[in-house]
Amino acid sequence: MFFESGFFWFLMGILFVLVAAGFKAFADDRGWVITWWKALLGVIWYGIFSVSFLSWGTLIGESEGGAGFKVFLLGMFISLVLGVGLWRLMQLEPGEVKSVEEE
Amino acid sequence: MSEEQKSQLSRRNFLKIAGLAGAAVQAGGMIAGGVAAGKDSESYTGWESFNPGTQFFNREPYRIEGPAHKPVGEVRRPSHMTDYVFGRVGTFQHAYENNPDWSLDDPIEELGVPQPLVEFYNKFPERLEWDYKTFSETIPTNREDRKKYGNYYRLAEAYSAGFGGYSRFLPGPDGPPEASDFLMPGTDREIGEQVPFKSPELASDFIKEVGHRFGATLIGITKTKLDFLYTEGWRGCPDDYDFSKLPEHWENAIVIGVPMEWDVVAASPQFSTSGDAYNRVSSAAVRLEACIKDLGYAARTHSPNTGYDLLVPPHAVEAGLGEVGRFGFCLTPEVGGNLRTAVITTNMPLEIDQPIDFGVAEFCKKCKLCAESCPSGAISMADSPDGMEIRGYEHWFINNGACYNYWRESMGPMGCRMCVMTCPYSRKDNWLHDAARQLDPRDPTGTVSSGLLWMQKNFFDYPDAEEYRRPPIGHFESFRPEPSYLQAEKYLDINITKPSKES
Repeated sequence: MFFESGFFWFLMGILFVLVAAGFKAFADDRGWVITWWKALLGVIWYGIFSVSFLSWGTLIGESEGGAGFKVFLLGMFISLVLGVGLWRLMQLEPGEVKSVEEE
Repeated sequence: MSEEQKSQLSRRNFLKIAGLAGAAVQAGGMIAGGVAAGKDSESYTGWESFNPGTQFFNREPYRIEGPAHKPVGEVRRPSHMTDYVFGRVGTFQHAYENNPDWSLDDPIEELGVPQPLVEFYNKFPERLEWDYKTFSETIPTNREDRKKYGNYYRLAEAYSAGFGGYSRFLPGPDGPPEASDFLMPGTDREIGEQVPFKSPELASDFIKEVGHRFGATLIGITKTKLDFLYTEGWRGCPDDYDFSKLPEHWENAIVIGVPMEWDVVAASPQFSTSGDAYNRVSSAAVRLEACIKDLGYAARTHSPNTGYDLLVPPHAVEAGLGEVGRFGFCLTPEVGGNLRTAVITTNMPLEIDQPIDFGVAEFCKKCKLCAESCPSGAISMADSPDGMEIRGYEHWFINNGACYNYWRESMGPMGCRMCVMTCPYSRKDNWLHDAARQLDPRDPTGTVSSGLLWMQKNFFDYPDAEEYRRPPIGHFESFRPEPSYLQAEKYLDINITKPSKES
């Protein structure tokens, strides 16, 4: 089946690269400087966001769609809370972090 | 704005839009990929998936030095007549049928059960009350229920009968261990000379490899323990046989397990059957017995279809297949409690496995889902097993009289299995449950298991225990809907009445 195949996950990987490129363009527009740790936090956040959808689907596949939707909503809530924090972190200049540490 | 700047801007805008579209497609893809993972036939751990890969949990980090069972009181071996529920209720039934006017107000001595059972009932009077209720009230009521609703479960019964019918073709021992264990299964042909292995380690490795291919989902090896051998009634043995000693050639115990079909057992209590796993694990055990005997070693199968001379769950725990759960049997990392087990006792020199501790003892203290879902209230709701013991070993209290009573109240192929299915460990093999399997035992704080348990209790539907009961208390509810191929209304051209609370 296509959705169980390695080719499907290969396509998902390509899409991830596209998402990352789109985010980079978005960050450039806003003047954000994407350091390695910001990129890492962004990947983790996107992982949590994506796993929420994956969990929902998996539980639908197990005939537990109701529970899956609740897991999805929980994942979205966590993504929202973390996303707000991440948004603020993204706006920090590398120097700002250093000056905060020095203070 | 220069042409170069315009070009850069349009390229950025394109990437932003493409990235956003990619995220949307990826979200949809994640759902589709998830559905495929949830339905994947390979997630059906056991005989429905690639068998040698079914024991996928790495037990090595969780090995503990055995034995896992440590005495906390005076150890007493189990009795077929009293402790083994089917032995006890069978004896009670025989006596009660000969004395149908006997009631609980009469002295137990007048019922006509053997003296050991009289003593057992005097020690555990609640078991007598439950056994009496089963035969005086529950079974007659169930006969009426089956006349009314039986057709609704007709296909589930036929499915179970397929396994039950075949079970009669599996050969069991027809002589004492010293004789039958040295004959090829089902024949009078003696086993040949022992073929030596290069080492016990390699012998164990061989047994595990072929055992999986004979149909065993899980395999572990331990020493056979006298404490867990029945005190009487070994198959093929005369009454005057010396049951006090462990036969020398029963030195090692190979424990194997097979799960029940996942979609069917999810429709417990009314639609599920243990027959499939009983039959498959018994077949695998007899195959393994024949294989061992072909190499010149004595062997005896103890399985659901051929009968037992010993208790299997404690041996399964000692062999490292899992830990004892609140529900009283072996809870494994791969299939939770969804496991039917058998033992092959043998004198083949083997390397034994050590028991494991992957956090079940602590988890069961806080979970209680099996006890909350138990229609008969047979499982303890206590916070801890402290102070509870069975035959000298610490063990969660189980009222097997109440448990069996609900068996006889249920519809379909009979039995319950709700404790199996509601256990959060009894889950299939996909990334979601595997993540829980890997994370939980590595978290010494218990935060992961508490969080998962909170989700289990708050996100998943759990019918009230009473809903599984007969009308008007319940409506013969099942934990999850039956698989479509067991729906009598879909296939059969007969009158069918679906149970409801009002009916």
